[in-house]
Amino acid sequence: MAMKKRKGNREAESYMKMSPKAFALYAVIIIFCIIVISPLVIVFSSSLRTPGNQTSPLKLFIEFSGLSYMQAFKNMNYPMQLINSIMTTGGSVLLIIIFATMAAYPIGRIKTKLAKFLYYFFISGLIIPSQMVIVPIAQTLSRMGIPNTRFTPMIMFITCSLPFSVFLFSGFMKGVPVEIEESAFIDGASLAKRFSTIVFPLLQPAIISCVITQGLWIWNDYFYPMVFISKKAQYSLPVGMLQFLGDKENPAQWNVLFAACVLCALPLIIVFLTLQKQFVNGIAAGAVKG
Amino acid sequence: MQQVKKKKMGANSSLVFNNKMYFFLIPALTMFLVFWIYPVLQLFYYSITDFNGVNYNFDFVGMKNYAKVLSNGTLTNSMKNTLIYAVVTVVLSNVIGLTVAMILNTKIRWKGIFRTCAYFPALFSAIVIGFIWSYVYMPSSGMIASLITMIGGNGAAFNPLGNHNVALYAIAIVEVWKAFGTTMIIYLAGLQTIDESLLEAGRIDGCTEWQLIRKIKLPLISSTITINVILAVISGLKAFDYSFIMTNGGPGKATKTLMFQVYQTAFNDMKMGRASAFSVLAFAFIIAITIIMLLFMNKREEEL
Repeated sequence: MAMKKRKGNREAESYMKMSPKAFALYAVIIIFCIIVISPLVIVFSSSLRTPGNQTSPLKLFIEFSGLSYMQAFKNMNYPMQLINSIMTTGGSVLLIIIFATMAAYPIGRIKTKLAKFLYYFFISGLIIPSQMVIVPIAQTLSRMGIPNTRFTPMIMFITCSLPFSVFLFSGFMKGVPVEIEESAFIDGASLAKRFSTIVFPLLQPAIISCVITQGLWIWNDYFYPMVFISKKAQYSLPVGMLQFLGDKENPAQWNVLFAACVLCALPLIIVFLTLQKQFVNGIAAGAVKG
Repeated sequence: MQQVKKKKMGANSSLVFNNKMYFFLIPALTMFLVFWIYPVLQLFYYSITDFNGVNYNFDFVGMKNYAKVLSNGTLTNSMKNTLIYAVVTVVLSNVIGLTVAMILNTKIRWKGIFRTCAYFPALFSAIVIGFIWSYVYMPSSGMIASLITMIGGNGAAFNPLGNHNVALYAIAIVEVWKAFGTTMIIYLAGLQTIDESLLEAGRIDGCTEWQLIRKIKLPLISSTITINVILAVISGLKAFDYSFIMTNGGPGKATKTLMFQVYQTAFNDMKMGRASAFSVLAFAFIIAITIIMLLFMNKREEEL
């Protein structure tokens, strides 16, 4: 392992020599990246203008002002929405990890047809689209007397995340050695003890992967909050953006709209830029090992 | 005798991993059954009623909802749209994702910067992306239209979201823009597991770069390809966001996908019964496509 790592480092240092082929490769990737990123650059540059500035957004960074941001900040009730987003995302992800690791424990460990069936049963939930079942779900919730609060979407965030998370944790469960648990069993450790002190800590890479993949879609989801939340004070960031829906056709509103877009995405951008390595590894691990 | 019986029932004979473990399933399984599986079953029940979402004194109407959905053409139209959307997003996000991953897997400088650029769109909420791309596609003053005008073309005529024939492809491109970065990261991880010595052996034997890719790299990452394609197909069949945010199903019904049609029938037309019948048929369609894809991918993986 150590040797592999050293080899990797040495390889990383010897970059490609500048040949016509290498030049073409650089040209392709640079042009491609510019095309991909250009809408975002334009949005960012426009958001820095005053709300009334209507020169073509293609003229980049001609004005620097915080006025559009201030207006968007006020329209969105940003602090409130940010706190709502943090609470619902954080709470959902925490509960998903607890529920899904618990569910994956018997599914990954017991070798019977029932366990195998449960594994496929959970995975099959992946293909069910939210829009399809939203009406019966809303009926079920109202019959159970669950009111529409900022926490109602969390129920659906957790449920929707279960198929992928159970799949992920069951896959990683194979990598947790059975022998440790067997010796703990001989020493008289209970099931709950074995789960919480041996299995759960060893699932850490999968947990990071789960936090990133599930946290990302839950933070960005607007559908469940849109259906379940009616009070504006309980909106999360993405659903708060719906109020700008009418502005997208109106160039006069763009600067404020774009500032709102940046504000909405900002928390996640900051998290991504600080934890880039964990992000990339977490996404890859989720799909490759799971 | 007893052992034979036990084996037949598929019972668990492990001491360490005994059946008490099933108690750990309770929270997840309860939520999954109550909020995910039970609602699907309820769809069958609502599909034979004229429920409108508010009034619980609904009547049973038999197969009328199904007959209506099948006869008014909404089902075939949205099936066609969903299928096109799914095929475009699956093919493009995988081809672009794999190509970029292969370029970034060479000894290239500034790898981190390129990777960040390519992955960046995946961070944004669909609603923010919908707004940004509404600007990009906007006729006359949008980003692409302005660029066309700048180089002397007719920017005012550029209106992909207003054109029957291209609107669906236009929103599929938006999905590709968001999704290919994630696909790329998964491919990159797959490519990094390839043993360098195999490629070296291939080079010594005189393989061209294309042969190296086709005969060594692709077969070795076949499981990564499978997982990426499956994930892309599943999300493609759920297409809803950009029809909802950018085009509202239009122009006409050109971007009405299955899930957009369900949403519209249920929430705009207030016809829960019909929406449920539609959902049942749409679900059968999604299951059929998924099964066909799984069979195909299994066979394909063996071939590679």
